Amino acid sequence: MTDPTGEFFDELGSKKHEPMLRKASGVLSFDITDGTSTAHWSVVVKKGDVSVSRAHDEADCTVTTDRPLFDAIVKGEKNAMAAILRGEVAIQGDPELLVLFQRVFAGPAESIRRRDLAVAGRSS
Amino acid sequence: MSDGLVQILDGNTFVVSDSRGDIEASLTDPTGLFSFDTRFLSKWILTLDGERLNPLSVDDLQYFETRFFLVPGTGTVYVDAKLSVIRRRAVGDGFHEELTLLNHDEKPVEITVRIDAASDFADLFEVKDALKKKGTYSADVENGSLRLGYSRDTYRRATLISSSAPATFDDTGLTLLAQIEPHGAWTTDLDVVTAAGVGGTYTTPKYDRKGTKARPNMERSLDKWLEDAPRVESDWEPLKTTYRRSLVDLAALRFAPPVMGGKSLPAAGLPWFMTMFGRDSVFTSLQSLPFTPELAATTLLALGDWQGSRLDDFRDEDPGRILHEMRYGEMTAFEERPHSPYYGAADATMLYVVLLDEYERWTGDRKLVRDLEQQARAALTWIDEYADLMGNGYVSYKRRNEKTGLENQCWKDSWDSISSSDGEIPGFPRATCELQGYAYDAKVRGARLARLVWKDEAYADRLEHEAADLKRRFNRDFWVEDGEYFALALDSDGKQVDALSSNNGHLLWSGIVDKKKAKAVAANLMGPRLFSGWGVRTLAEGEGRYNPIGYHVGTVWPFDNSFIAWGLRRYGFKDEAAQIAAGILDAADYFQGRLPEAFGGYARELTKYPVQYPTACSPQAWSTGAPLLLLRTMLGLEPIGENLLIDPALPQGIGRLELLDIPGRWGKIDAFGRGRVHVAGRRSQRQLGLAEEIMPKQKRKNGKKARVTA
Repeated sequence: MTDPTGEFFDELGSKKHEPMLRKASGVLSFDITDGTSTAHWSVVVKKGDVSVSRAHDEADCTVTTDRPLFDAIVKGEKNAMAAILRGEVAIQGDPELLVLFQRVFAGPAESIRRRDLAVAGRSS
Repeated sequence: MSDGLVQILDGNTFVVSDSRGDIEASLTDPTGLFSFDTRFLSKWILTLDGERLNPLSVDDLQYFETRFFLVPGTGTVYVDAKLSVIRRRAVGDGFHEELTLLNHDEKPVEITVRIDAASDFADLFEVKDALKKKGTYSADVENGSLRLGYSRDTYRRATLISSSAPATFDDTGLTLLAQIEPHGAWTTDLDVVTAAGVGGTYTTPKYDRKGTKARPNMERSLDKWLEDAPRVESDWEPLKTTYRRSLVDLAALRFAPPVMGGKSLPAAGLPWFMTMFGRDSVFTSLQSLPFTPELAATTLLALGDWQGSRLDDFRDEDPGRILHEMRYGEMTAFEERPHSPYYGAADATMLYVVLLDEYERWTGDRKLVRDLEQQARAALTWIDEYADLMGNGYVSYKRRNEKTGLENQCWKDSWDSISSSDGEIPGFPRATCELQGYAYDAKVRGARLARLVWKDEAYADRLEHEAADLKRRFNRDFWVEDGEYFALALDSDGKQVDALSSNNGHLLWSGIVDKKKAKAVAANLMGPRLFSGWGVRTLAEGEGRYNPIGYHVGTVWPFDNSFIAWGLRRYGFKDEAAQIAAGILDAADYFQGRLPEAFGGYARELTKYPVQYPTACSPQAWSTGAPLLLLRTMLGLEPIGENLLIDPALPQGIGRLELLDIPGRWGKIDAFGRGRVHVAGRRSQRQLGLAEEIMPKQKRKNGKKARVTA
């Protein structure tokens, strides 16, 4: 069984530095519910330096949603900001931090494929 | 906006009602209480003993506050009323209404006061397009209040209605009993609070029940805003009126995005465009830099936060791209519209870098330039990596979201705005000329910032080299030889779309025009085909699609003209810039200082007054900013190092112009301009220089004086 959410946080944590997060500083807490259980990740960002743990740090921004949706967000199948407007993702605390963080979520695979085709078409 | 509607607003919360203060939304009358792009009240009707009221007068106290004076009876014959009603309404997180009944009779009276309330929770997009809702409604009476609700899956919006005087609530409103002594008064405070529930938490009322002195939740009061802005002194009175109108409207147009912690940027237009627009927010910030530089700072920060990071065809998003428009309503939430945010603008990204540099030149705030280095580099990278759709070295646009994306991604965004002289409309992608100018300017300015602040000499050299190369190619490929101007665009085959347009002025502003071509370009801008006497037309007379009342094909846009004037000054055409300032400021006087988005392109001598183009939004931010930029161009204000260069060139009719306490890296500075010619009896003269007075040959005498006060 695949675990996009777990893989996303593992990969982010192994990066140590993520250039796209250089503007962000603070602690984000992710509570991802799955049926009756809740998995928790804490992401500490300091100008792009990232550390990920399962610790319950005091968060500047707490993000709560369910696993199927978060899986879809990290894979680029769903958009995080629209999900917030729908109330499917709840945020508490500083919304700016999440706006800065959501850059690391992937875009739709189809969009990338279409661009690759377009670029190939131009150079041929 | 339909006639007779009254609007008040605070940020993106606004109320549109009829002259009685009632809200009765219909397809033709888009009244209501709106917040975050959602209508939270579509009905709000006051009756006394079952009767509607008659308006006596409406007193617009401030843009956020108004007062309705009413009497009972709706007949055509005015009856000497024994009762009058005052509704004082202020907008906040919803609105607060102080309802007062005055009994003018010698007898006590007992009146049943009824307010019918309802909400359709329509998305602004639905209001425009009359679409059907997919969720369910609710109405609950709880704890002495009425809660109107709407839900669709996890999406929830609610409107809470409460009253300070005892009231009986039901699903469709509230009823109160007013017992009033002879010559007495009865009052209640009504609160309507919108609950957006963004992120699961509901906003709380800003006004408590006793808060009869309802104040909008603005960080700074209007008074302080006006006090902090530079002062204008002039012997030409209309200029002072226009300036004040611009400042007040700019205050009303401030919008604090939820991520900005209360800081404001200019939204695009009131009331329907009270949101972040990349292009409009940047242009307005540029216009207002010498007056209210903090708007530019917030614009740069907010647009930087939302800068694109990935490829997303639905949103037309690319890494580094600056957003076009942000919306918060239901259709955006359910991805039926791409505005979360939508990125389909071809110019905003380059203009973002232009604004960052211009901001530093005025304020000396290098910290912000350092903080936004990554954003600026990503924006500059976007130009070559993602905007060159044809692989020919020019920025062009073609939407990837073919259902709900924007076809036209330049400022002239109507379907027929880009055409050749014979009226033919090209396909996509399109490389409009002004985009190449902005790209050039962004690279030149980016190079300056790289050298000065980011300390990256190699990057600066590279950008300058690219800019020079772009300029060389552009002056070759876009130049229309026989007309001596730049083509409006190149089509997808690289062929010139050869109409003569106002875009040439933006090219002067960007600096991409070869010096030896500038004179011919200026002559075309000021010639009879483009210059109407009021300003430069969007499209020249004689072009296939020219129409003096066509949105982007012949009308005169004040915003457009303010940048054209700046461009003319950049190339040393002071008289021509002054002529444009004169025309636009004369037009402003006809509109009581509030310039519309556009007005007809008819020749000035034909209509004598500017014919307004009907648009939904007024004031429009970049029209509001136009007089500000024209003040700058008339006084020739240009930051040079730590100093402000002042080089006035005033139009005839203005004998004296002073701009006092201009904020900037110099502290505060005053600029003085003296008119070139003394015109006898000029005080009675209402209008500035007319078209036949273009470019007087006599040498002018300009006052040139600067005083540092801090």
